[in-house]
Amino acid sequence: MRGRRFGQRFLQGLLLVLVSSAHPAAYIQFSVDVNGKTVPLRWQTVPVRWYASSQGTPDVTPPQFQSAVARAFDTWQNVPTSSVAFTFAGFTSAQPFDEDGLSVLGFSAEPDMDRVLGATTFVVDDVTGELIESDIFFNSVFPWSTADAGVAGRFDLQSVATHEIGHLVGLGHSALGETDIRPTGGRRVLASGAVMFPIAMSAGTTADRVLQPDDIAGVSSAYPDGGFASRTGSVSGRVLLNGQPVFGAHVIAFDLQTGELVAGFALTAQGEFVIAGLRPGAHVIRVEPLDDADLDSFFDESQSVRIDFRPLFYSRLVGVPAGGAPPRFDVTVTPK
Amino acid sequence: MIGLRCLVLLAVVACPVQAAAQGADFVHRVEVTGGLGYFMGARLGDADATLRANASPSQPFTLFTTETSLRGSLTGDLRVGTWLSRRLGVEGRLGYGRPDVATSVRADAEGAAPITVVERIDQFVIDAGVLFRLDEMRVGAVVPFAEGGAGYLRQVHEGLALIEEGHVYHLGGGVIRDLFTRTHGIVRAAGLRADARVYFLAGGVSLDDRITTHGSFSGGLFIRF
Repeated sequence: MRGRRFGQRFLQGLLLVLVSSAHPAAYIQFSVDVNGKTVPLRWQTVPVRWYASSQGTPDVTPPQFQSAVARAFDTWQNVPTSSVAFTFAGFTSAQPFDEDGLSVLGFSAEPDMDRVLGATTFVVDDVTGELIESDIFFNSVFPWSTADAGVAGRFDLQSVATHEIGHLVGLGHSALGETDIRPTGGRRVLASGAVMFPIAMSAGTTADRVLQPDDIAGVSSAYPDGGFASRTGSVSGRVLLNGQPVFGAHVIAFDLQTGELVAGFALTAQGEFVIAGLRPGAHVIRVEPLDDADLDSFFDESQSVRIDFRPLFYSRLVGVPAGGAPPRFDVTVTPK
Repeated sequence: MIGLRCLVLLAVVACPVQAAAQGADFVHRVEVTGGLGYFMGARLGDADATLRANASPSQPFTLFTTETSLRGSLTGDLRVGTWLSRRLGVEGRLGYGRPDVATSVRADAEGAAPITVVERIDQFVIDAGVLFRLDEMRVGAVVPFAEGGAGYLRQVHEGLALIEEGHVYHLGGGVIRDLFTRTHGIVRAAGLRADARVYFLAGGVSLDDRITTHGSFSGGLFIRF
């Protein structure tokens, strides 16, 4: 078995390096190349066994850590249309970055990563593509809290764990959010429509303990269960600019009946997108450039993502059926 | 059908006197009515696309706003009924129209141009109702009636991708005017009919559980067998 480790980081305010690739599905899923074939990164065997580090911080004891992280795992496990499941295997003295076949979550002091709250790493079998191990570290140089209502000035461990566990199950970042640029550099998140948005909410906020429709669609697409395929539908099409496909365009579907927002990306060289996990009903489709987070939070640096166009609404209302899809359509955007 | 209508119109011209003299011979006869009308639109509701705000999670961040309506449309309908007595009749109706569902999208947080996005749907209404003739209010050969009923609503989105179902209820009234009658033959009478109805739609293309109210006007030609 030849293992390969790569990781994904959740940032306080500045985006760093993404070491993964996008997969052309409803939601960006991590993927690996196995024998020239792109394979989505997912657990083949559930429940996923996880260990909690026995190393705490002055703010958070190991039992408090385990309890908060267990609640975050439960949040993903309780999605009724997903089959992913987890089980706590015990405390361990192993560290999150050890390549030991154990999926370990714990604190680690990483002062060099002064804008990284946490990160998720994977060990994947290069031959089979099987996910062997996934570790999550939480940067103990930041102040943390496990209080039910959060604590002002401290980052909520359960919220950040919920985001990182999204990576652990194979999900990449969602671009469903709005940010502005800080005068001192980096970005400030104004609002997000997904726990998997790459930039953290402010310290003291516990809002990201709760999954949003985009997160639920993502995990359900990766681990479909509970009638997901028959009870939800999808939309698909292409994004074009001056007749040319637009790679990396962010496409949002808004459900007029429920108010839910679920998004995807144009992920092929032809500018094709698919958004799955939509409730049946009429949807408004909005296309925007990927300009609310750094591109390398979503795509490999080698991929040429176009952001030189204006946000736009598709001119037709799209009716999404249960268990199917309406006819594909093209959305033509205009240059900035 | 066009030939038959011409025949009926010619009969009207040829038999103007008979039109005013109507007895009770319409009872237990089958009437088939074909007509055209207009089904009025209604506002379906507002919905805002919101994100979870960082500064104040209790006050969501609005990405954009929408306002949706079902636009009015021309309709065609076919009715089959019979008068059970001089006063009371029953009928079934199939109505078809192609209204637009129109959503006005505005106030985009990133400046996307406001737009009205539309989708044309196929709308079928199959209903049954009761008619009450109001002979005491007749004016010459024009006899008013009141009606009410309920039925099934089927709205089919573009590309047959999504079918939404619901129920319809209606109240209304109209007038009937026999253009000619006769006591023998297959066709015993023909005439004109106008209806004004208020429809209450439950289900179908709706943004919530509210019932939407729509006016409807139609006129047609009936043949009594």
